[in-house]
Amino acid sequence: MKLNPNCKEVHKLASEQLDRELSLTENTGMRVHLLFCRACSNFNRQMKFIRQAMHKFPIE
Amino acid sequence: MINTTLFQQLETMRPVLLRFAFLQLRNTEHAEDAVQDALLAVLEKPNQFSGASSLRTYVIGILKFKIIDHLRASARTCQIDTLPDQSEDDVINDLFTANGHTISAPNAWGDPEATLHQQDFFNTMEICLEKLPPQNARVFMMREWLDLDTDEISKELNLSTTNLWVILYRARLRLRECLDINWFAKTGSA
Repeated sequence: MKLNPNCKEVHKLASEQLDRELSLTENTGMRVHLLFCRACSNFNRQMKFIRQAMHKFPIE
Repeated sequence: MINTTLFQQLETMRPVLLRFAFLQLRNTEHAEDAVQDALLAVLEKPNQFSGASSLRTYVIGILKFKIIDHLRASARTCQIDTLPDQSEDDVINDLFTANGHTISAPNAWGDPEATLHQQDFFNTMEICLEKLPPQNARVFMMREWLDLDTDEISKELNLSTTNLWVILYRARLRLRECLDINWFAKTGSA
């Protein structure tokens, strides 16, 4: 994994962090990218939101 | 003797349980079996239900266990395609330019906490799950609804873990897009 991942790579990491532990390089690269990229920050929050919603599912 | 009120309550829940079992198993007969097993388990030991959680939460918990039993039993006869076709790759590639930038940047989704209290949102989410390709939905729900860990899922389905991560990523992308279009854009929170 590169030190400065692009949006495509960060999107994938945002999903994969929910399924595996990211390496230190991946994690740092993603964090730094998220600091200046609103698109990926939104996407990252949405991935976590989907997990939260699935755990509450189904509600009455 | 069977408690008639409990019996009636369970019967009222049956349609919802069936819909969810079907979403996961994608097979009517297996879904009916799993729901039947779950309802019988509750009826056989009605005292196990302490009232600490709602009956619905309790029954859904048991249904999840019964579904996992079914998935395990049918794992050998019901293989998942391990090789995604071209259109599957497009789900990911279509979102990005050649140098890896997003083509259309995801908007913020407003107040997540408030959304999670709206029944209508969950109805939309159910429709979005129905729209996922069956194989994709099955794997995604094993992970996110049944809460199985990735090692267990890859073993059950005989998938490599890297393959599994990609399948889950695709499912999340599809679900994200469906929710974005059918809920967040419409409710104005996006």
